[in-house]
Amino acid sequence: MVFTRLVAAIGAGGSRSGRKDMRHRRWVRIAVLGCSMGMLLVGCRRWRGQGAEGDVVTPGALEGDYVLSERIEDGMRITDVNFESVYFHYDSYVVLESEVGKIERVADYLRGNAGVRLVVEGHCDERGSREYNLSLGEHRALAVRAHLIGLGTDAGRIQTRSYGEENPLDPGHSESAWRLNRRCEFALYR
Amino acid sequence: MPVGGSWGSRAAVTALLCLGVVPAARAVDVEVVKSGAFKSSIDLSGLRGNDAAASLFRKTLGDDLVRSGWFVLTGPARAVVAVSGTCVRSAGSVTSRCVARNTATGGTFLNRTFRDERDRVRRLAHTVADEIVRSVKGVPGIASTRIAMVGRRGAGKDIYLCDTDGHNVVQLTRDGAVCLAPAWCPGGDLLFYTSLLKGFPDVYRIDLRTHARERVAGFPGLNAGADVSPDGRSLVLTLSKDGNPELYILGLGSRRVSRLTRTRMAAEASPSWAPDGNRVVFVSDRSGSPQLYATGRDGSGYRRLSFRGSENVAPDWGPDGRIAYSSRREGRYELCVLDPSAGTDTRITRGDADYEEPSWAPDSRHIVCTRTAGYHSDLYILDTLGDAPLRLTSLGGDWYSPAWSPQ
Repeated sequence: MVFTRLVAAIGAGGSRSGRKDMRHRRWVRIAVLGCSMGMLLVGCRRWRGQGAEGDVVTPGALEGDYVLSERIEDGMRITDVNFESVYFHYDSYVVLESEVGKIERVADYLRGNAGVRLVVEGHCDERGSREYNLSLGEHRALAVRAHLIGLGTDAGRIQTRSYGEENPLDPGHSESAWRLNRRCEFALYR
Repeated sequence: MPVGGSWGSRAAVTALLCLGVVPAARAVDVEVVKSGAFKSSIDLSGLRGNDAAASLFRKTLGDDLVRSGWFVLTGPARAVVAVSGTCVRSAGSVTSRCVARNTATGGTFLNRTFRDERDRVRRLAHTVADEIVRSVKGVPGIASTRIAMVGRRGAGKDIYLCDTDGHNVVQLTRDGAVCLAPAWCPGGDLLFYTSLLKGFPDVYRIDLRTHARERVAGFPGLNAGADVSPDGRSLVLTLSKDGNPELYILGLGSRRVSRLTRTRMAAEASPSWAPDGNRVVFVSDRSGSPQLYATGRDGSGYRRLSFRGSENVAPDWGPDGRIAYSSRREGRYELCVLDPSAGTDTRITRGDADYEEPSWAPDSRHIVCTRTAGYHSDLYILDTLGDAPLRLTSLGGDWYSPAWSPQ
């Protein structure tokens, strides 16, 4: 268990460093791997902490691409083009198979409209703490953003904004209201 | 004002009677005990004066002493502590001479003159109440502390302040935007909070003397949930500028940002400093559900703290080292208190409503939290030693995210 985490962490380090010093890093990694094996034999206490980071990179994008660029301060909102919201399971940021098509349509639109920038807006249902929901909403927006980057959209065109649970689409308190509220919306700017 | 101490004192006395609690055997130190809290009987009939100021002073002081959890009001015959003195209003100020005596030994707990230059009778009573609590019981009082909170009374959610008896409500923001997560600086003169004022969640600082406001974190993406370190020099907060919601420490003077967590697959939130400033408790969903973790301020030595409940959120690391948090149990949010050094974890609410967002009082005994029932939220003060909960907010609207001032 710990070993697989360890390998995952080091593997993630590999896809992270697609830069000039890659060769150097590879040696460092091999050295780290060697040391780690030794530590693994001695005892896993320290590694359990660090190995659980779960730092896995979505295929098709380097970590540098995830860094958010400066906010859109002066953009004009495009209101005549609308995309379907992307929905999520409770306490989850995972993009569901059923929602992928919606994101692909946004990627297609952005490909054909070079001057348009996008803010992915993440929302949660009312359950859970308000502060955690801000983070979860942001995580959802970033997951959709990562998906768009994977589809070839320039990362610099996509911002994220979390509303947490503060802006429900359906003000109700039922399962059907919650399902509608766990979503990402697409706000386009020119 | 339904939060009044008269209700509280009646509740306390009734509870004592119901429990059949009798004064302890020692005649010289007559104390009554309920749920582990030692209460001293106190008599205020020696406070003279019949004008409005004196009456308000006596009423406020009595309510404060009951709300402190350490006293029951009695007549002179049964009192362990007898308070005498005056409350006089003159030329725009109000002055109280106050003596608190031990009726058994004749010793003096307190003998001082207090003055409020701005003629605030209630504030003066709060100060005297805290001095009585400190001098008789040797613990910090809470009467003169304040509570920051988020109120929704129309469009938007704004930041408000109130006294611990629910009086003296002050509205600090009027933006029509959503504000969240107020947090005090240790000196009590600055408040940090998260607001969507400019369309994105950013962290702002408001100076409580001048009401001047400044944005302190406006990085791309999420800026939220700041908590001020005990030395007042840095914030721990959630940022997503590097592509994922992670915890960072932001130096308030240096503006230097250092990263505390690296969890591509998880979101972090709700950091709260340990009282020694060396560790931080926070929420992370790296296990698949939001749970509590603690880490050193350099990001080292993290460990999971919560193991019961499907979700454990909104931790507040209190002044005595215990962590209050909200735990989802059987579909309801309950408040729990976790003691990392003793390894204990105690539920303090009983499933009659959802209790969330706890914040410790500086006395390490009381907790203010959001209580939601029937889709309506109010703030309540809970007593970890067992006194009945008190409703803090009595105005219309919904009230959330309380933060108890450090002093």
